[in-house]
Amino acid sequence: MKILVADDSRVMRQIVIRTLRQAGHGGHDIVEAENGRQAVELVQTEAPDLVLSDWNMPEMNGIDALLTLRGAGNAVPFGFVTSEGSDEMRARAEQAGAAFLIAKPFTPEAFDEALTGVGLVAS
Amino acid sequence: MSTLAPSALDLEALVTDMWASFVGSPELLLPAGPPADDVALWSATVTVTGEWRGMVSVDLAEAAVLGVTRGMLGFGEDEEPDAASCTDAVGELVNVVGGNVKSLMPGPSSLSLPVVSRGAVELPSEMTEASVLHLDWCGAPVRVRVLTAHSS
Repeated sequence: MKILVADDSRVMRQIVIRTLRQAGHGGHDIVEAENGRQAVELVQTEAPDLVLSDWNMPEMNGIDALLTLRGAGNAVPFGFVTSEGSDEMRARAEQAGAAFLIAKPFTPEAFDEALTGVGLVAS
Repeated sequence: MSTLAPSALDLEALVTDMWASFVGSPELLLPAGPPADDVALWSATVTVTGEWRGMVSVDLAEAAVLGVTRGMLGFGEDEEPDAASCTDAVGELVNVVGGNVKSLMPGPSSLSLPVVSRGAVELPSEMTEASVLHLDWCGAPVRVRVLTAHSS
């Protein structure tokens, strides 16, 4: 399985990757993107099985990246990992086609639950 | 007046959770007084604009910046993070605090990208301190503030 991690913070991408490992999902291939625009490009070239994306990023934010992908007919499972976990943001994410939203700060358990929910088994 | 703001207790719970999740240090964040005037601080801010308007700042002494960055990157004590990593790490701290503060306040609103400064930042004159949390981590001061606009 291949997971695309999109976040403008390199430190946060490292934390997400570490947390995936702690959640028992450390065996997946990881691809990294620094913003939403790069994430869209990498989804098209790398065909990941899941996208874990920050919301608030320069160039293109996460929700616009998701809408761009869905507008192009791409149905890759897409989850947000973001500091903004309000009901309003969760509703916007769901309406745009996101599978889940993990709020920062997070736990390995939250990752395992979300990934299991989209059918990714621990590796 | 837009004086609605999270309490210091809300901030403390949030910062404690964030430290446990990202920094992963066994060293506790302890209540403390304000940082001394002669302590050089890194400052990071985000702004929230919309139904609720405010600013969140996180200020840390250099030793705390280095410790936080080591923790977030999984570095050992003998590894020295570079300035770009420190800036990235401190920016992510304020981003998480700001996003959570935004979620506690009335919406809709937008969160800015973080601005990080190695040194004190000049806060906008229209902003007033609404909540403040003074902490000590491994002997280094950590300050978290929520500022709100005079009028909305």
